[in-house]
Amino acid sequence: MVIVSTVDGEEHKAEIEAVQEDDYKSITKRRYFFDWKSERGQEVYKINVVGSGDILGLVSIERIPEEWRIHIRLITVSKENKGRDKEYENIAGNLITFVSKIALREYGELACVSLKPKEAIAQHYIDKFGMNRTGMTLSVEIKEILEMIKIYDHD
Amino acid sequence: MTMTKTKKDFKEIEGAEFGIDSRYTSKRKQLDDGKVLMEARLQRMKNLSDDEIIKARLIQLKLKMEEFIKEPIYKKEGYFTKFLTSYIDTIYSKRIDFAKDIDIDDNLLSKIVNNHRKPQDDFLLRLMIHSEKTFSTIGHFHKKTWYQVFYQEKLAELMANQDQWRPEIERHVSIKNQISIGD
Repeated sequence: MVIVSTVDGEEHKAEIEAVQEDDYKSITKRRYFFDWKSERGQEVYKINVVGSGDILGLVSIERIPEEWRIHIRLITVSKENKGRDKEYENIAGNLITFVSKIALREYGELACVSLKPKEAIAQHYIDKFGMNRTGMTLSVEIKEILEMIKIYDHD
Repeated sequence: MTMTKTKKDFKEIEGAEFGIDSRYTSKRKQLDDGKVLMEARLQRMKNLSDDEIIKARLIQLKLKMEEFIKEPIYKKEGYFTKFLTSYIDTIYSKRIDFAKDIDIDDNLLSKIVNNHRKPQDDFLLRLMIHSEKTFSTIGHFHKKTWYQVFYQEKLAELMANQDQWRPEIERHVSIKNQISIGD
């Protein structure tokens, strides 16, 4: 997977790995917007440029196998990657694609990844990732997952 | 309708760029949402084409194989044959058609998928090329994948069954001039 520098358009190889206990020392609310320490014990992943230890984004998930679904509990980018002045593009897209690949590996064509953003920002996710809306829940299912893999997965 | 965004709107959209907290507040809420979502998903699934299902299953297989290569586990039934049968059965309705396509005897294929014979290089190479062609319209499939699964499994099997082969093999191994290091 790659993320793209907004400064020069250069592509950088990125990797996503499970967050280790030591990482929580540097995962502050100030830089990552939420209290990630409360996610200890959950399945939490971090994204960084290959060879760099600097965490650019985080996602926490819950597997719900009886529904062939993975629910995104928390997702964020780092402070420098927020809004118009962000340093890199595609951080959230890569994190959601990574989760979608886990769902596809585990549940095949029944796979589903869900999340529940606030109403005011739901449309952004629908437009950007082609998500389906069911009530307040947004989801990517197999059609969208295949599309996201095509766009974001270069492995 | 005006498209001018207020300051508040912009803040909300910008918020979308940095994160979402969508943790359920209770198990009840999760179950209720899951139920409604499932009904909608089942409706949407009706629109899936056979091609999309095959594509999903092939990518699922590829992801499972990659996972096995990263963290091989030894299982008596064999992962190689499990992946192989999954690959064949996803694409073909009859295994004999796969045997024809890679120009091998269907009895040999049957022995391989039933773990009665280990695949040889010619089989693995044909499987490698077959997979490359199959995945060419789907996504990247590394040509090393089948070989990696095969040898990772062999290695995991050897390590797991040391008590069976080691005593006999060890009888044939001795070092007459033992090098002493660190004395």
